[in-house]
Amino acid sequence: MPPSANMSNPGLQLSKKIIIGSLIILPVVLFLLSLTLGRYQLGPFGVVRVLLSPLFTDLANDIPEVAQRLILRVRLPRILAALLVGASYGATGTALQAIFKNPLVDSNILGVTTGAGFGAALALLWMGSQWQVQISAFVFGLVAVSLAFLGSRLYKTTPLLVLTLMGILVGSLFSSLTSLLKYVADPLDTLPSITFWLLGSLTSITWGRMLPLMIFTIGGLVFLWLIRWRLNILSLGDDEAKSLGVDPTTMKIVIIVCTTLMTAAAVSVSGVIGWVGLVIPHAGRLIVGPDHKHLLPVTIGLGASFLILVDDVARTLLPGEIPLGVLTGLIGVPILMVLLRRSRTGW
Amino acid sequence: MKIVKSIILLFVILGVSLTACSTIITQQEVESTEDVQQPPFLTETRQDESPQTNLPKFTITAENQLQPALTMLFQSFYPDETPVFVEQGGDIIATSELEIAGEHPDVPAAFLPGGYLIPQSDSGAMFDFISFAVSEEGEKVLIDKGILPASVTLTDQAGKTVEINQPIERVISTYGPSTSFIYSVNAQNRLVAASYLGARDPFGAAMMEKIDPRFKDLIGDEYFSQELFSVEQSATLEPDLIITSARTSWLETATELGFPIVLYEAETPERLEEAMRITGQLFGPRAIAYADTWITYYNHIIETISKQTASIPEEDRPQVLFTGTEPLKVASGEMYQTSIIEFAGGISASSQMGGYWQEVNLEQIALWDPDVIIVPPYGGASVEAITESAEWQILDAVQEGQVYRMPKLVVPWDTPAPDSVLGIVWLAQLLNPETISLNCADEAEYFYNTFYNYEITEEEIATICKYE
Repeated sequence: MPPSANMSNPGLQLSKKIIIGSLIILPVVLFLLSLTLGRYQLGPFGVVRVLLSPLFTDLANDIPEVAQRLILRVRLPRILAALLVGASYGATGTALQAIFKNPLVDSNILGVTTGAGFGAALALLWMGSQWQVQISAFVFGLVAVSLAFLGSRLYKTTPLLVLTLMGILVGSLFSSLTSLLKYVADPLDTLPSITFWLLGSLTSITWGRMLPLMIFTIGGLVFLWLIRWRLNILSLGDDEAKSLGVDPTTMKIVIIVCTTLMTAAAVSVSGVIGWVGLVIPHAGRLIVGPDHKHLLPVTIGLGASFLILVDDVARTLLPGEIPLGVLTGLIGVPILMVLLRRSRTGW
Repeated sequence: MKIVKSIILLFVILGVSLTACSTIITQQEVESTEDVQQPPFLTETRQDESPQTNLPKFTITAENQLQPALTMLFQSFYPDETPVFVEQGGDIIATSELEIAGEHPDVPAAFLPGGYLIPQSDSGAMFDFISFAVSEEGEKVLIDKGILPASVTLTDQAGKTVEINQPIERVISTYGPSTSFIYSVNAQNRLVAASYLGARDPFGAAMMEKIDPRFKDLIGDEYFSQELFSVEQSATLEPDLIITSARTSWLETATELGFPIVLYEAETPERLEEAMRITGQLFGPRAIAYADTWITYYNHIIETISKQTASIPEEDRPQVLFTGTEPLKVASGEMYQTSIIEFAGGISASSQMGGYWQEVNLEQIALWDPDVIIVPPYGGASVEAITESAEWQILDAVQEGQVYRMPKLVVPWDTPAPDSVLGIVWLAQLLNPETISLNCADEAEYFYNTFYNYEITEEEIATICKYE
């Protein structure tokens, strides 16, 4: 077992475990509660009966079929998607902040979100089906990160700094390309679709689109969970990592590949949702400190809870939808300001 | 131990929240579609006429294949009575052969696709029967008895084949032009929510409310539009059909609820006619008759103008520039506006451009040197933005005051909607006043009376059929 910062203090350890445990359970509770929320009124018992109806056939016979389909095929996948996307952003943000040793890093550091945005705009302009948009966004997210990565190989100086720079450059490149697409798009229908997509929304989630999200997110989360103690070592610096028997370069590449796949899968279904990957790791650090052994599970739980709540607001506050990216910005920025002011912990 | 604690905590939270929420017990508002088997006036009519014992109320002269349907309609309108069919000289003639023709054709009273009722006398009972036969109730009777099909299968404008149960009684239209199609086939009473074209400004909204008193309840721009579809709200409305544009971004989620969806994309005159035909098919025989009448009228207008301007050589036709919501955005050759200009006997200055509204600079416009500039009646576009701008004075058209705003009553006359037929007439009169015999005021009166069932007043006509 790797050394842990708080091993010597069993009392602290116990209270931390309770906090961590409740933060992992919180998204599950919010998930169940959110299922009863919506403009279509169907009381909590109705929702529970509909949820159990695939197991007990006669349970929901008196509930209109529309309501059953609404719960099982629209609300359920959507809230599950909010949970997964939030968890994914929370975890990738934490992991990337650790390996870049930089608290301003979020999931988009290597341009994956911007690349995905360009891919989606491209598909919305020339193809149009939701599937094509999702695949195109995913592929261009990976293309953007690959470009940043290949670009950084051209230089032999401090690789992380160059990689960060390349990420910013590739991000700018793709955001210019997206602007170009928006300029040529028809202002009456394609342009609003592109704008709406770039602001992020979980409106168009269906079970069919969930599979890639579930595979990459759950796979990625399990992987990050298993290697979470190595994040501590990597955040110490390359020399320390080497002396502790971890190959920092390989490890970093593996983590970048993992977070890129996770982010691309999330962005391709949800559109661009900013701030979660930046705010949640800071909030997590404030609660449990910088030890990734605890920090990673906490940011997963916090991220999932945060996005479920924000999505609840987005889909119920107004008759129409509020773009998620707008809400996470409006809620996330003040939170981050407060956190940064209060934060006395290291990163 | 901690896990057990956590689980207990979870259950406590769940339990508290469920009890709190349990007071909100669902009350599904199922709007009872009033099952009017017989219209209210029926009882009066029957009391008046029943003392006259065995005399038939009216006689019908009908082709043999139409008689079963008529008998069913008659017996459901007057239970316990049988219709009297005569070989010749009936009060009503029922025929399958009727040509919709003439300058201002009436919409035939169609009770079947290819089954029309023509009144021959002025008996009140007869007119009551005819209006029953062509109504939604009449349609339901014929569907129940298996004479009209219980579902229609059609290919929508995205090329998708859909099967839709009949009759359609609750429809959501999330696309402005398709809402105008529904109004024009007189099926607006089947709408439960709609997105409207041209009804966002106060004048358009007030006008739309005059046309349809239900407008305020129906307009649902905050729930439904091309970009936006509130799945939850649609579920509460329980529609049996959703109509929208082929270029909507939310189709998959709406499909999950299992409602049938019909997609429209009418950017050319041919597609517009097809859209009207599809709308007719969706809403039954009477709607088909409306669609056919509109198509006949549309083609009649186009042919009339085409004949009257045929002698004008290509190079003498006026060059028309159609600008968009901003003066420097112009209509491309692929847009419906170009077809309107060509039908009206003009030439679109910007027809070689592709795509949608295209941004150009003033030099390009000076090079085109249009004779007439048209601005649309939406999106804040105004004639003054051009005439009061110093740069635009370089154009002869601006110097001569040849800048006009396309009119609208509610739906802008330049959009691919039924109302665009008036845009063609209006523009034709402007471009070729000597050669065109058509008159915007006459056509607007016929159009709104016929296709919107709205008795348009002379003052209203005066506000739309004008050039400024």
